Amino acid sequence: MVEFKDVSVTYSSGVDALNKINLKINDGDFAFVVGSNGAGKSTLIKLILKEIDATEGTVIANGYNLKKIRRSKISKLRRTIGVVFQDFRLIPTMTVYENIAFVLRVIDAPKKYIKTRVPYALELVGLSDKMKAYPDQLSGGEQQRVALARALVNDPKLIIADEPTGNIDPELSYDIVELLKCINECGTTILMVTHEHNLVRYFGGRVINLDGGKIVFDEVVGGSNESK
Amino acid sequence: MRVSSVGYLVKQGATSVWKNRMMSFASFCILLVSLMLVGFSVLAGINISSIVSGIEDKNEIVVILHDKISDEQIDSLYVKLKELSNVSDVSFYSKEEAWESIVEGMTEEEKNFMQYAENDNPLPDTYRVKVSDLTLMEITTSQIKTFAGVESVQSPTSFADALVSIRNIVTLISSTVVFALILVCLVIISNTTRTSVHARRKEINIMKYVGATNTFIRVPFFIEGMIIGIASAIGALVLTRFAYNELYVVFNDQLKLMNIIGSNSLYAFSEISFPVTVCYLAAGTLIGALGTTISTGKYLKV
Repeated sequence: MVEFKDVSVTYSSGVDALNKINLKINDGDFAFVVGSNGAGKSTLIKLILKEIDATEGTVIANGYNLKKIRRSKISKLRRTIGVVFQDFRLIPTMTVYENIAFVLRVIDAPKKYIKTRVPYALELVGLSDKMKAYPDQLSGGEQQRVALARALVNDPKLIIADEPTGNIDPELSYDIVELLKCINECGTTILMVTHEHNLVRYFGGRVINLDGGKIVFDEVVGGSNESK
Repeated sequence: MRVSSVGYLVKQGATSVWKNRMMSFASFCILLVSLMLVGFSVLAGINISSIVSGIEDKNEIVVILHDKISDEQIDSLYVKLKELSNVSDVSFYSKEEAWESIVEGMTEEEKNFMQYAENDNPLPDTYRVKVSDLTLMEITTSQIKTFAGVESVQSPTSFADALVSIRNIVTLISSTVVFALILVCLVIISNTTRTSVHARRKEINIMKYVGATNTFIRVPFFIEGMIIGIASAIGALVLTRFAYNELYVVFNDQLKLMNIIGSNSLYAFSEISFPVTVCYLAAGTLIGALGTTISTGKYLKV
């Protein structure tokens, strides 16, 4: 569960990125966060990941009050969140297998578990045959699916997808969101930031629209795929 | 942390050396050159010190004894001289030995002439006294002058002063050079490791986002730096040994020079190989490991 209570963020440059935001994303939700550039979408994500601090207000993520969290606990918070970035952010010197296994090694998972869990995560995203490949040997869509496998491998409570379809072919974008929807059906909360209104219109669901650091729309909308 | 995790982190560090081989090679070269520069300066410094000490050892006080001194007085003077705190060695040089030494350097004709004067040897018995601290030579000379049976004392105090000044200057210059080189090398090494780590900042950033602790991220960097440091130290040691031995042979072949500075003044590499090896390995490992680990700190604040 993620909750924002009267959260404001003002950067040192004087820019107000978020202004008195109140938002609650319940466990098991799937929410699209939309908005133009500078609307505050990235700031929202940075706050949840405790990359920045709120100037005012309180952020609670997966049971951690981020205002009071100790520096040593930040890594523990991040282990409960899977992140998918627009630019994939895979470690170039590690194979696909190693990139995903790294997340489990960080949480000190037993070797046996890693050996079964990583192939399972790769199977979920349809990349079982690419285990030994390096990121630069994969297409953009494949890299994003690896990033997705990495995000879900340790069974996080929340997956944040920051423009996950921004660097891949439009037709593959639907596959990625489809995968996220599947993961969501298993109970994982998904927060997907996107620019692509077509995707939002197609899949529907909860849509949070940010503009000028404020939430201007937060409702559940029906998707065009549901009518098919 | 599990044992398997520790093994994984160590393995990661070791494989990173190869995976980032270009930067590893750059760090290796910089560290190797730095170690050699500092190492050679230190070796030059200790050898120059040793040479100055060798010359100092040849610097002695000549104690001229009274002509009519008895054997008992000669012996008691020996004891008194030995008891002086600044005296390191005392040797007796009889008037006969002095005569022989003078005659030895003469031509045959001169020798023939001198044999008539042998019974009236005018040379005195002497003690040659070596001091441990040249700066106290003047005080020691004054003390010796007060002893019974001493006719006069010849001591090259001005030469001793000059030697002390030379030694102080040599120490100051070599320490300054070594210190400056260490500083320069640290700056270069720090820049190289920073560049190396900077090239992998995204990697560190990703690790932070998936919840890796700072220790988990730092350990492989530490191991990587340590391996590069040890490799550089070994490389530098081999090159230093080779270059040092070559120079040692060149200097020892210069007989005239060796006569001046003393044939045992230069250290053979075998005499100093243990401390040199330990210092190179310790410096290489520490600089490599700590340099890399400290450089990662900047990128861990995410």
